[in-house]
Amino acid sequence: MPLIVNILGLLSIACTLFLFGPSQLFAEKKLWSLKPINKITVPANTKNDWSHNAIDDFILEKLSTESLAPSPRADRRSLIRRASYDLTGLPPSPETVRAFINDPSNDGVAFSKVIENFLGSSAYGERWGRHWLDVVRYADTAGENSDHPIEDAWRYRNWVIDAFNSDKPYDQFVREQLAGDILAKQKKGKEFADNIIATGYLAIARRFGHDIDKSMYLTYEDALDNLGKTFLGLSIACARCHDHKHDPITMQDYYALYGVLASSRLPFPGCEPKQQPRDLVPLVSAEVIQQNEEWENELKKLETDLITKPKEQLKEIAKKNHRVLSRGHLSVGKSIDLTNEPIRVDISKGEAIQISIAPNANHGADTTLVELNIKHESDSGTMQWSTDDLIDKLTNANPLKSKDAVWCFLDIGPEGPRFLKEKTEAIDGQPSLKKWSPGNLPSVAVNMGKDPVKVWTEIPPRSFFVHPDKESPVAVTWISPISGKISIGLKVRDGHAFGDGVIWQLEHFASKEMHSAYEKLAIDKLGLEKIEEHKNKRPLGKKDYAYAIAEGIPKDHPIHNRGDNEDPGPIVKRRFLSALGGSVLGNHNASGRLELADLIVDAGNPLTARVMVNRIWAWHFGQGIVGTPNDFGSHGSLPTHPELLDHLALEFIKSGWSIKQMHRIIMNSATYQQSARSGSGPKKYTGFERRRLSAEEIRDTILYLSGLLDMSPGKEHPFPPRNKWNFTQHNPFASEYASSKRSIYLMRKRNQISSFFSLFDGPDPNASTAKRSRTTVPSQALYFMNDPFFHDCAEQFASNIRAIGPDQRLEHACQQLFSRPASQTDHEDFEAFARAMAPTVSNDPEEQDTEIWKSYARILMSSNELLYLD
Amino acid sequence: MISRPSDRRSFLRSFVAGSSMMPALLRNMDAVSNSIDPLSVKNPHFPAKAKNVIFLFMTGGVSHIDTFDPKPKLKSDVGKEIKLDHPEIENRPGYEKIYLKAPQWEFSPHGQCGTEVSTLFPYVAQCVDDIALIRSMHTDHSNHYNATLGMHTGSFAFARPSLGSWVSYGLGTENQNLPSFITIAPKQTYAGTQVYASDFLPGAHQGTFLRPSKDPFKNINSRVPVSRQEIELAALQRLNERHLIARSGDAEAEARIKSFETAFGMQMEVPELFDFSKETDATHDLYGLDRGSTEGFGWQCLAARRLVERGVRFVELIDTGSSGNWDSHGNMMDHERLAKNVDQPIAGLLKDLKSRGMLEDTLVVWTTEFGRTPFNNKADAPGREHHNWAFSSWMAGAGIKPGTVHGSTDEYGVRPDKDPVHVHDFHATILHLLGLDHAKLTYRHDGRDYRLTDVYGNVVTDIIA
Repeated sequence: MPLIVNILGLLSIACTLFLFGPSQLFAEKKLWSLKPINKITVPANTKNDWSHNAIDDFILEKLSTESLAPSPRADRRSLIRRASYDLTGLPPSPETVRAFINDPSNDGVAFSKVIENFLGSSAYGERWGRHWLDVVRYADTAGENSDHPIEDAWRYRNWVIDAFNSDKPYDQFVREQLAGDILAKQKKGKEFADNIIATGYLAIARRFGHDIDKSMYLTYEDALDNLGKTFLGLSIACARCHDHKHDPITMQDYYALYGVLASSRLPFPGCEPKQQPRDLVPLVSAEVIQQNEEWENELKKLETDLITKPKEQLKEIAKKNHRVLSRGHLSVGKSIDLTNEPIRVDISKGEAIQISIAPNANHGADTTLVELNIKHESDSGTMQWSTDDLIDKLTNANPLKSKDAVWCFLDIGPEGPRFLKEKTEAIDGQPSLKKWSPGNLPSVAVNMGKDPVKVWTEIPPRSFFVHPDKESPVAVTWISPISGKISIGLKVRDGHAFGDGVIWQLEHFASKEMHSAYEKLAIDKLGLEKIEEHKNKRPLGKKDYAYAIAEGIPKDHPIHNRGDNEDPGPIVKRRFLSALGGSVLGNHNASGRLELADLIVDAGNPLTARVMVNRIWAWHFGQGIVGTPNDFGSHGSLPTHPELLDHLALEFIKSGWSIKQMHRIIMNSATYQQSARSGSGPKKYTGFERRRLSAEEIRDTILYLSGLLDMSPGKEHPFPPRNKWNFTQHNPFASEYASSKRSIYLMRKRNQISSFFSLFDGPDPNASTAKRSRTTVPSQALYFMNDPFFHDCAEQFASNIRAIGPDQRLEHACQQLFSRPASQTDHEDFEAFARAMAPTVSNDPEEQDTEIWKSYARILMSSNELLYLD
Repeated sequence: MISRPSDRRSFLRSFVAGSSMMPALLRNMDAVSNSIDPLSVKNPHFPAKAKNVIFLFMTGGVSHIDTFDPKPKLKSDVGKEIKLDHPEIENRPGYEKIYLKAPQWEFSPHGQCGTEVSTLFPYVAQCVDDIALIRSMHTDHSNHYNATLGMHTGSFAFARPSLGSWVSYGLGTENQNLPSFITIAPKQTYAGTQVYASDFLPGAHQGTFLRPSKDPFKNINSRVPVSRQEIELAALQRLNERHLIARSGDAEAEARIKSFETAFGMQMEVPELFDFSKETDATHDLYGLDRGSTEGFGWQCLAARRLVERGVRFVELIDTGSSGNWDSHGNMMDHERLAKNVDQPIAGLLKDLKSRGMLEDTLVVWTTEFGRTPFNNKADAPGREHHNWAFSSWMAGAGIKPGTVHGSTDEYGVRPDKDPVHVHDFHATILHLLGLDHAKLTYRHDGRDYRLTDVYGNVVTDIIA
């Protein structure tokens, strides 16, 4: 296929077929980075007044051989700015600066306090996490033709930030990213979830093409390429088509590792022909998922037993034994009175009489006065029951006992039958008005007072009334305590002067089971409590998913001849790189990722520690000991200080792979604390290179200075809901989301890179960025001159400054921006500027002051002193 | 009026020097090293006529057999069933059988050379004597995204530097007030920003993306009155000079001071650049552009001439974006609307460049990402599918052999049958016309030397004068 031919070609420049095997070559001339890390003797320097620690001894020795001397120590102000950005990506607060400047301890001691302070800040993880995200080419989209958003990628991003903040040992950091899902099997709760999330590292590999499933071999290549560079500093992917030309990596090596990835299941982000994601990994363990299921089943059972079944039973009985005694329609303001022609009914104990009211149409005005009187005459005398009896005790209970009869107040709409279970002791703040209802309507109510109450309509004194809802008629039910003949008198009156009237219906439910059916229904409230109680026992929060990896179908995979995935060659057993021992990985039950992770961080592998300490060094100084942090192969640079690199690698392992410990060692060195030099200065120099702030630092700084920066951690992005997804190559996902959080939390796309980040040399999330490029171009200047966001932030800063007394403004600005007091020259410059500026504004001094500060805020915030670190 | 960096520099210097607030702090700005400026003009590998490129990209896939590749046999054999192992019909329900579909537009010979062009491009047809037409183009992928990426970067899957970025990297640019590489399109096309990205090349070579409008350039308009901005810039320069002096001439800090000067120059130059009011009615007519309108391809073409005139190295015009484009699956008649939008402006551009003598050193390239199928699953199907096996592209202007036709396709326009030109060959030829050897234009990245054409590419010498 033509595509494959081309992809082959892409790799073939460097990977031209090697005529004699690499192993032969490397047997003779082994790659320096593969040689074991030997214990290094720290050189003894006579000039000990400069050195702080072993780093300095190595540096000094090299300088001496070149007849060079270290640079002078940087001043405290430069140092704290450098350290603050270096560790947190933000400027130091004036208070922090003051504390350091005024610290009477010696320079080294005072600075180590500063380092500890910054290392303890949560902003540290947001700065160093970003470094890591550069290397692993983190993005929030998949990169295939329609660039599908990845809803859960942010979890991995935040995991990285947290890992740096908690100083997760680097070996564990590596293990979790490659095999967290396997490690998670022995974990529970948050630890389980975090282990799963960590494998987001592998999951975020770029996807390709129209139908991702057809191009997974390219995704495996992307993942292998990144894995090799990130952890080992090796360009493994070069061996996809041919044995690596320069490094000891064979095609067998490549496909041995390919098998490990292809034996794993990568999540599917969605693509044009298959929009919906799949194969995401639940964040709770299987055991918890089962608990969740059991819990859900129990909840369903409770709801059925306590709510659904009683309703069904009641309905069933009522339906079978139901007899309408009378019914009618009542127009607005009208009433009926059946007192004079009472309805006679034969009733048994436990049977029910029910008066129900429904709206005619519905315009809300359905307050209906009801008076139900039931009389039973027997040898032992006359018994009477009436809704009037309920006026003083309506809200005592529901069901409500009165003279051995039981009264029920019910919603008989679509949700019902159900007891009205919320009581209101003062409707509309009127203490004489009381009601039962679910929320607002339908309701059964009384006016206890001797006076009419004017609310939505006038409620007569000493009255019993009901109000149905739009869809829900309301019922008042009397359950007979006796057997025999009764006569029923009924008065119903529409309580409104407007509206459209009501429908009323008087019924007899002639079954003795009615009573118990109502009783069961009345458990409703208790039942609900029981259900609530059960809901609180939920095993773990809602079922969240991670964009993470899982074990797939473990098997060995064939070589792709010349990289052509449609031309399989011999099958290669899964194993580690032959140059690093070649141990077998996985079996028919396991992909081999866990063993791979273990081998990468194994003490016998000299690369991992060297590569990571070199990265840490390079991120501090701007230049690595090895100038190519992603390439420790023979095409990469050689270490400028090989013994120092090994010394640091051993220290790293000795410290328990603590990255924070490496910061301490490096930043406490005299080497780090030298004054800065230009990045384009002499090559022999080792120390902090003066640098411009990164894209993230620029944005975070201007937001911070304006007081608009939201320091709380970011979470998920406001992607459109999945069911709305229809991204195509014609209309790819291309949204941008504004946020005032730190830049690490902004959404990053693969196919359309944000203009701000590409303007200021941000990383391209399509490939690993070991070291950001440094450009200085006029379009960056235009940003500071005319960008609306920058202008807004500067204006906010200006207005904050103007809130201070005029004498203190410039001082305050210099402290905030430059971490130093304003000098005489600063004042003179500002005065000169203000004089030149004023006439261009107006004659109004207030307006002049506003405009001058708006302008000067922009000038200060565009200045090299803010944007460069010494 | 084209203001060159030196004009601006002296302007700023005199402003700063004349200002009472500025003591004698001025340095020799011209001493700022050009060696760190990635955009400074570089010599080509060998002398060449073409200095600039205008790259016209018809996005979506223009049908070759309805525009520049006449196939009378296709017309006479319409409805004939053919059998092909074609990527667009593979496993596609309803496409078990395919039939030849006739071109819907008539072809006729034009100009002295007699090159046949269809009635879709009557204006461009008038320019065939200035054009070297390639009828044997082919590419590796039948998907828009991949083919578009391929046409722009030489890579069909991975992000790589785009053609314009390579040219900028190889030659730098004449006008330091403007970017070296500008892409103009109403909207993003397939593969998004990758089609003008510099990828691993230095960021200065990245294409600047502009949308047609009266004010297309981001952050180009001063948000405060220019008189006030001058004072601001002078004050900023004062702060930055103080910073620089204390740091014994840090090259990067110095370059940043210079960048504000350049930006100020851009701010002066760019609005004028997109102000077409001084162009004559005749010029507007030539491009088919209504005065004051920014609609249609005419605006893009006229803007391209003005950019090249001012020394921009590489200008790409995209018609139109990733939707509503030449992708006429549904109905080929849509090609009529699309051709009408670009035909007169493109011919206008060629004529305008020629009459100004600019065609002497400007290479105009016209292409698409792939052609369209000479067949469909019904002979009377209204549309055509993607066809990466063959398509037509052309070049005009500097260094090409005008009035020529290179290569051909078989009787139905299915595959090239003579002198096939792959995208890599096409790229190699463009670089060659600019004096760049595609095999030598390399950039060291990740430990190896990359080039636009990977390990491929043969210069199409036939179309070179």
